[in-house]
Amino acid sequence: MTEPALIFDKVGYAYEESPREAVSDISFSVDPGEWVGVTGPTNAGKSTLCLLAIGLAPHFFAGTLRGTVTALGKDSRSIKVIERSTDVGLLFQNPFTQISGARERVDDEVAFGPECHGVARAEVVERVDEAMRLVGISELAARNPLDLSGGQLQRLALAGLLAMRPRVLLLDEPTSQLDPAGTAAIFEVLANLHSMGTTIVMVEHRLEALCELCPRIIAMAAGRIIADGAPADVFNDDAVISKVGQPVFARLAREAGVTGPWPVQFQGAVSAFERARA
Amino acid sequence: MRGGLSLYVEGNSLLHRAHPFTKGVLMLSAVALAFIVPSALWVAGILVVLLILGTVAGLSRRLVTGAVAVVVPLSLLIFAVQGFANPANRTVVFALGPIVYYKEGLAFAGFVVLRIACLVVATFLFSFTTRPADISEALMQSGLSPSMGYVLQSALQIIPQTLDMAVRIQDAQRSRGLETEGPLHRRARAYLPLMLPLVLSSLLATQERAMALEVRGFGLSVKRQSRYVFADSTPQRVTRWLMALAPPAAVVARVAGWQ
Repeated sequence: MTEPALIFDKVGYAYEESPREAVSDISFSVDPGEWVGVTGPTNAGKSTLCLLAIGLAPHFFAGTLRGTVTALGKDSRSIKVIERSTDVGLLFQNPFTQISGARERVDDEVAFGPECHGVARAEVVERVDEAMRLVGISELAARNPLDLSGGQLQRLALAGLLAMRPRVLLLDEPTSQLDPAGTAAIFEVLANLHSMGTTIVMVEHRLEALCELCPRIIAMAAGRIIADGAPADVFNDDAVISKVGQPVFARLAREAGVTGPWPVQFQGAVSAFERARA
Repeated sequence: MRGGLSLYVEGNSLLHRAHPFTKGVLMLSAVALAFIVPSALWVAGILVVLLILGTVAGLSRRLVTGAVAVVVPLSLLIFAVQGFANPANRTVVFALGPIVYYKEGLAFAGFVVLRIACLVVATFLFSFTTRPADISEALMQSGLSPSMGYVLQSALQIIPQTLDMAVRIQDAQRSRGLETEGPLHRRARAYLPLMLPLVLSSLLATQERAMALEVRGFGLSVKRQSRYVFADSTPQRVTRWLMALAPPAAVVARVAGWQ
């Protein structure tokens, strides 16, 4: 049986000097190649989940960790973030702070990570070309990263991570600061990566996008998991509906008097409305 | 967002492709020699060599425009002061009312202006053909620690980043009704609402960037590998040594009586 890519076992975490835990009693596992969407209201603990998964909590943010977080068979307590940076990648919300801030060319920026890891020169070149091609920024290779748009910058940040060839990709609201075109471009890249076998855990507020892209959704509220399953199951759960909300298709169907379970994807909504009309 | 403060001009000339150290030594030697050689003719010779190198690199127009913009205002001041007030002044050339201009002062001013022109042209030539990041990269390839290299590389990039952040905060404050234009006291009053978010945003951005760098393996205790190595052929190394030795040789010659 294949070992899960990510395991949270009864995890609780409180930031230093914080009176209460940011996440509590978190238990779930992610299989290799899965694409899991994580959603929830503000302060649900979604970003903390990402920080725990890569080990920035508690290695970067001091705090109290209960339970165990295991990524690719390694306990987060026993391995530094920097040492697992080729296995697990984390993309933050703000693309501007993810670039090194030291490189004057896009391709140099993508090469930053592999260079730090001492990857052989020929392979660095190969990885840079591959990562830029995957995210569609090959034609921007000679540009200064500071001259790029938000969407291009986020794709560059993603390319920088992909050049490290991580097996698990954690994305903390990767499109929150992007316009619709930039968002679509990032989602397309992620769909491509998923089809190539990369394990993806993505925190996202756009429920419609989550339902279309992720076969599995984890809904969180107040630091706890309140639902974990297929999009249609999660967004027809009463606790999720009251604390997180529903995709627009489900809300429309509900308002139109369609009987549940309500559709959470575009195609499902079309079928549901056709059935209701018939 | 604006790019970095680099003056680099894309190109593929011999000078563009030369090792950053070669270009650095060329610039420093040219400037040093311009201030060591005894006559304006020698300085003019160095300037001509630099301009020929600039022309070969396809930068003649940019080089001349940049140099004129810097040197002309300075030279006007130097000619005005030296032609009138140089202690060696003896031979009258012309007079502007009570102010008399002398041949010796004007000649000295010409000499100084030529030296300044050398300094400016050499600096521009280096800046136009060398990316700042390449200098620190070359230093890292020669043994500088990656942390120190990062500090050098990020120093030039951080200024436009901070300026951009300041403009965004100023725009946001303005949209909330803060007056950022007008008399000095009004602009001074707008300073605090600008500085506070700027400092806080910078601190937050620094924390996030520190995490992002760690996630990318920055600071890992393995030998860093660069994506490319700068070509450093034997002729380049020989040229570099010759250029590096030229200024001390000129000093020795001057001491030995070169006039």
